[in-house]
Amino acid sequence: MDMTRVPRMTRRGLLQGCSALALGAWGGLGIAAPARAAAELKGKTVVFASWGGAYQDAEKSCYCEPFAAATGASVVQDGPMNVAKFRSMIEGGAPDWDVADITIDFLYAGSGSNLFEKIDTKLVDTSRISPQFVHEYGIGCIVWSYNLGYSTKVFPAGKPQPQSWADLFDLKKFPGKRTLGDNVVATLEVALLADGVTPDKLYPLDVERALKKLDTIKSETIFWTTNSQSQQLFVDGEVGLGLILNGRAYDAANKGAPIALSWEQNIQSIDYLVVPHGSRNRDAAMMLIDTMTQPDNQAKLANLIAYAPTNPAAFKGVDPKIEPWLSTAPDNVKKGFVINAAFWRDNLKTLQERWNTWKLA
Amino acid sequence: MTPFDRRIWLLVPALLILLVAFIGPVGWLLSRAFTQPTLGFQNFEELWTHPVYLRVIWNTVAISAIATPICVVLGFPVAHAMTYGSTRMRRWLIFLVLLPFWTSLLVRTFATVILLQRTGPVNAILVGLGLVDRPVPLLYNMTGLLVGAVQVLLPFVIFPLHASMLKIEPAYMQAALTLGANPVRAFFRVYLPLTVPGLLTGATLVFISILGYFVTPAMLGGVRELMVAQLIQDQIGQFGNWGVAGALSLVLLLATALLLGLLHATVGLKAVAR
Repeated sequence: MDMTRVPRMTRRGLLQGCSALALGAWGGLGIAAPARAAAELKGKTVVFASWGGAYQDAEKSCYCEPFAAATGASVVQDGPMNVAKFRSMIEGGAPDWDVADITIDFLYAGSGSNLFEKIDTKLVDTSRISPQFVHEYGIGCIVWSYNLGYSTKVFPAGKPQPQSWADLFDLKKFPGKRTLGDNVVATLEVALLADGVTPDKLYPLDVERALKKLDTIKSETIFWTTNSQSQQLFVDGEVGLGLILNGRAYDAANKGAPIALSWEQNIQSIDYLVVPHGSRNRDAAMMLIDTMTQPDNQAKLANLIAYAPTNPAAFKGVDPKIEPWLSTAPDNVKKGFVINAAFWRDNLKTLQERWNTWKLA
Repeated sequence: MTPFDRRIWLLVPALLILLVAFIGPVGWLLSRAFTQPTLGFQNFEELWTHPVYLRVIWNTVAISAIATPICVVLGFPVAHAMTYGSTRMRRWLIFLVLLPFWTSLLVRTFATVILLQRTGPVNAILVGLGLVDRPVPLLYNMTGLLVGAVQVLLPFVIFPLHASMLKIEPAYMQAALTLGANPVRAFFRVYLPLTVPGLLTGATLVFISILGYFVTPAMLGGVRELMVAQLIQDQIGQFGNWGVAGALSLVLLLATALLLGLLHATVGLKAVAR
C-alpha cells in the first residue's frame, strides 16, 4: 500500500511498544504454536519482506520477534516489497522470501496466477480475524482507509464542516482548493458516492458518471502523487479538504497540522501477509502469520504506528487516543466498506488508461 | 592506414561495466517489447491503437519543447558572462552553476515545493508587493514543472555554450563592428551563428533529459503534465507489464537517437566534440 510511510516514534509510543513487546512475547510462548512445531523450527530462518521504514520496524517487533521467541527460529528482514521483484522471484523458482506483506490489489491479481501458497488453516488460526479480512491466499494484517479529511483551520468547529463525499464536491458550501489522489482506484468510488450511489450498488463502477462528477471539481483539485504529498498539502494549507489515508491524517495531526477526519463511507483497504509460492520454509512462514493474528501483537502494532487491527479482540489493548483514527475501531468500521479488489483486478488496466486520458483532457 | 592504437585496451574495464550494468539490462527490457507476452509487435500495436499513449508521448515532447528555449534564453547570458567576465567572476559562476549538481534531485525538488507553495516565500513576496491580491498557484501545474525542470537543466546549456564562446575569435566581432555593423546586427550575424554548436548541444541535452523526466513532473506538475516516464513506471510498477514498458522505452530511445541524428546532420557531432 502506502510505500512512503513516515516513521513516527514518540517516546510514549516507544515505551508502550516495549512493554507490549514483553507481553506479546509471553503471549506468543503461551499460545502461538504447538510445542512440537516449535521444536522443529529451532534454528530455521524465515525471511520476512515488507515496505521498510517505521512500518516494517513495527512488524519486526510485533510479529517477528514474538515468533522468534516462541519457536527458536530466526527471522531475517528484507525488502522493500515490490510486485515486479516478487513475480520474477517466483518465475525464477525458489523465492528468497518466506512471508511478504502485500497490498490487496496484488493479492487479487496474484491469486489467479499461482504466486502464493494457500493459507494452511491447520497452522494459522483464521478464526481470530474478522471474516472480511481473511482470504484463501493471505491473512489481513492491517486495515487502512481512504477518508475525507479537512482542515479545522479552514472549517473550524461551530461552522459547517465537510462530513460526506458529497461535501467534497460542493464548491459553494466548501469553497477553495481540495485534493484527491492521482489514482483511479478509490477516486471513482468517491465520485460515485458523492453523486448519491450507495456502497452496495457501487460495483461495477459507472466510470463515465464518476468522471463527469469529477469534472465539476477538476480545476479546483490538486492531485497528490505520493502519500507524503497528501499530508504536506494539509500541513502547508494548500488545500482545505480532500481525500487522505487515515494513517497519514493521524501522522499529520501528530505533527501539529489542524486536520480532522470524517469516517462517513470510509473506503477500506487491507495489507495481507502471504507466503510466496515455493517457499522453502512454508510451515514456519505459516506460523509466523499465525503469530500476527494474535490480539496482543496486533494491538502493539496499532499503538506503535496506528494501523488498524484485523483481530477485533486487539482493541482491548489499543490506546484510546489512537483508537478514533483506526479504520476498524468499532465506531468506524461500520461506517465504511472494503474496496472491491476483484473489480479492480479485472479493470485496473483499462481504467488506468481511461484515467490518464481524463487527466489530459 | 592508422596503426592499431593499443591504448584501446584502456577502455575495457569501463566497457565491461557498461555492458553488465547498462547495455545488458536495457537491452533485455527493450527486447521484452517484442517478446512479451508473445513474440511479435503487439506492444507497439497497443501504443498505436490506445490514444492515451500517443497523447502522453506528444505531451512529453511538447513539455520538452517549451522548457528547452527557456533554458537557452536564461543560460545564454550566464555563459556569456562566464566567458568574458573577470577570472574571479568566471570562477564564481562555474562554482554556482555546478553547485546544484552536488545536491540530490529529490532535495532540490522538495526545495522548489517549499519555495513555490501557497504559503511559500515567492507568494509571500508577490502578495507583499501588492502584485497579486492572493497567492497564485505556482505548483502542481505547468509553471511548477517548468521551474523545476529549468533550474535543474540550466548547467547543460551553460557549459556547452561557454565552450563554444571560448573558441570565438574576439577579432571577428571587432571586425564586424569596424566594418559598420551596429552591435545588434553584429551579434545576430556574427556572434550568434558562431555559438550554434554549443547552443544546439545544450538544447539537445536539455530536450533529451526532459523526455525522460519522472520525479519533477510527478512532484511539481499537475495531472495534465503527464509524461512518458510516469506511464512506464505505471506499466512496470502496477501491472508488471514489461512489454508495453519496453515499447514505450524504445520509443523514447528512438526519439533521442533521432534528435542526436538531427544534431549530427545539422552541426555535426565533430563540431560539437571538438
